[in-house]
Amino acid sequence: MNEEKPLSQQESLLIIQQMISTAKTEQKDNGMGWIIWGWMLFLASVFTLINLKFEWSANLFLFWNIFGGLAFVMMILDLIRNNFFRKSIKVKTYTGDLFMKLNAGFFISLMFIIFAINLGSRYIHEEFGKGSMVFVNIGFALLINLYAFWILIYGAALNFRPSVIGAYACFALGLTAMFINEFEWTMILHAGAILIGYIIPGHIANNEFRKIHSKG
Amino acid sequence: MFKELDPILHSQLRLAVMSLLIGVKEAEFTFIKEKTNSTAGNLSVQVQKLKDAGYIEVNKQFKDNYPLTTCKVTSKGVQAFEDYVKALQQYLDVGKK
Repeated sequence: MNEEKPLSQQESLLIIQQMISTAKTEQKDNGMGWIIWGWMLFLASVFTLINLKFEWSANLFLFWNIFGGLAFVMMILDLIRNNFFRKSIKVKTYTGDLFMKLNAGFFISLMFIIFAINLGSRYIHEEFGKGSMVFVNIGFALLINLYAFWILIYGAALNFRPSVIGAYACFALGLTAMFINEFEWTMILHAGAILIGYIIPGHIANNEFRKIHSKG
Repeated sequence: MFKELDPILHSQLRLAVMSLLIGVKEAEFTFIKEKTNSTAGNLSVQVQKLKDAGYIEVNKQFKDNYPLTTCKVTSKGVQAFEDYVKALQQYLDVGKK
């Protein structure tokens, strides 16, 4: 840019518009986080459902345990990458900061619900001497509700309509799951919520991101 | 009565820098250089002028033995930018009539 060139009002306005639009582009999410997280959750739900039908394993939560292990390993790898190998971030945005805190809050709430499911199930088992899926089903309904809340904030902050629509659909599925006391149906509703809330918006965001960045 | 356009902001590169920084929390010098398509020398001079006016904060440090300069808009800068846009709007509204 040439500093000495005299500016007209129209040119000033154009510069402001161009630069604000450039800054906005930096705040676009590539959707990869949603896609990876979404597919992992989706596959855990679907394999659990298949396991219920074909009884591959007596452990109903086998695929959720695998998911938990994988999520933990990925979290550690991500922490190592961010702290030791990542190049400095050239630009920091307010939404980026918000999302970092939001993600931390989301994972704490997620762990809280998972812990509550286990604690509740154990209590019923010890008190009544038999297992019950009540806490598990309600726990998954609460998890869907938590995803919806997270997706809604993300969608609203990025002004990304597919996420906002996905969030409301997730709320509806979470509410439905609250009244279902069949684990099979809970898994179907959970998989549906993940598809609508994470996977579809994630792929749309990724396509938009690639289009923007291929234009240079 | 027209407000005079702030001479600090009414310059191509300084306005571009402020417009870019207004939408982010902070940005590295290299990022601003790349996005405004300017030279390092020219950008340094204009960044210094914005800093002297109190419109931006410049933070210089070293990371992995390389200098790292980051810039962020101050509240005075935000106010000046808002006033500039309002004044600009006045001129453009008259131009439309």
